[in-house]
Amino acid sequence: MNPLQQKFHSTSTALALVGLMLAGPIFVKAEAAMVVMPAGTYVPLLRATKEAARITVAPFLLDECPVTNADFLVFVTVSPKWRRSEVSGLFADSSYLEHWSSDLEPGPHAPPAAPVVQVSWFAARAYARWAGKRLPTTAEWEFAASAGYTRPDGKNDDALKKDLYGWLARPVPAVLPDVATAAPNFFGVRGLQGLVWEWVDDFNTSMVTGESRADTGLDRDLFCGAGSVGAKDTTDYAAFMRLALRSSLKANNTTTSLGFRCARDISLTPVKP
Amino acid sequence: MKNILLLLFLSAPLVGGAPLPADDHTGKPACCGLSAAAVPFTKKSLYQSEAGFTTDAGASFSLGELRGHPVVLAMFFTSCGYACPLIVSDMQAIRAQLPAEVRDRTRFVLVSFDTIRDTPDALAKYRAMRSFEAPWVLLHGNANSVRELAALLGVKYQQEADGAFSHSNLITLLNPEGEVIHQRAGLQGGIGETVATLTTSCEGK
Repeated sequence: MNPLQQKFHSTSTALALVGLMLAGPIFVKAEAAMVVMPAGTYVPLLRATKEAARITVAPFLLDECPVTNADFLVFVTVSPKWRRSEVSGLFADSSYLEHWSSDLEPGPHAPPAAPVVQVSWFAARAYARWAGKRLPTTAEWEFAASAGYTRPDGKNDDALKKDLYGWLARPVPAVLPDVATAAPNFFGVRGLQGLVWEWVDDFNTSMVTGESRADTGLDRDLFCGAGSVGAKDTTDYAAFMRLALRSSLKANNTTTSLGFRCARDISLTPVKP
Repeated sequence: MKNILLLLFLSAPLVGGAPLPADDHTGKPACCGLSAAAVPFTKKSLYQSEAGFTTDAGASFSLGELRGHPVVLAMFFTSCGYACPLIVSDMQAIRAQLPAEVRDRTRFVLVSFDTIRDTPDALAKYRAMRSFEAPWVLLHGNANSVRELAALLGVKYQQEADGAFSHSNLITLLNPEGEVIHQRAGLQGGIGETVATLTTSCEGK
């Protein structure tokens, strides 16, 4: 554990309390556990030549687990416009929460402690705002997911790779497992890899047209500044899968394996040593 | 658990989540005979978005204020050296080719990706430099609002290390209800189809 991480751990209880105070009188909902993420770096898989090879990630708070059906039920209960029967097609497609039994009843296909899926980016963002949080950025999410179970660099963690590629090879189960069944990674975050895919706030950064023949060299006609993007690390298969998924999504899309978790800025001045 | 949910449910009107009124900005002239406050936005209307912006005059602005006007909209940034000047020139050419009665009703909206450098002041300078007239609406937004609008339009963008933005080149047409009726992707498409779509959509209205 690096010194910075330790420092932030020591303030995490205070931060959580402040978070509860900021959340104010909104709800009785139990505050989801958040993990204090230290500063780090993210190496983009695809990047423009002008882009930095490593992107610095400032310390932030990240939900320990993805948002669950029980969590999301509280949100739709107090937010009628996000119920399945009332949501606007602009913000969520027709399969939004389709596996729930009804507007306010997740039912047998959506156990309370399983991650909520079939939610759009707009819905995930609305939930995060309601919870006094935000969605993580791609850089934050990928940095958190880059850790193995026991070491900060997951690329060398065979146990993680085995679980991850096993998950990628299996079809999506009809009923998703509880979030707590996912083992915590080095940072203490669960389920980033091997549970569900997750929305990130800036999912719409990928300059890929979705037309594979057109993407060998990105189209300068469609994208300003494109034509300068090249793959960084061709060995990270799962990262390519995530990039492809994000590139193909529209913000109102929902799928049976796509959920989300929330992040929050660390706004307090770190304790001076 | 049930009691908690019941409690939450009963207190729902106090804690938000209810849709905002369709048009809650008062003191502005109603534009086009639509009684905006009374009629909710359609299910496809981008004006359902609650994203807030600021004009180059420093006034706060919600997209719903465009209701009643056909809209030609693009996202850009003022320091863009490649595509944005072409997009803006195309929008000016579209304006020039519209029949007068359509042109007079249409609003031309530019929303900047650059939440840091394209302040309302910077946009005001850009307006002066480009000699934009009143029907041009130049908007600054925070990162959240810009991200949301881009998602609604299907615009992808990313800031590069030198501060410039890679972005989709997209001109979007909205009908008076704020529904997307046409998008021109790329720079080579010409403007004939855009002009024709806009003109046709305004016929008989």
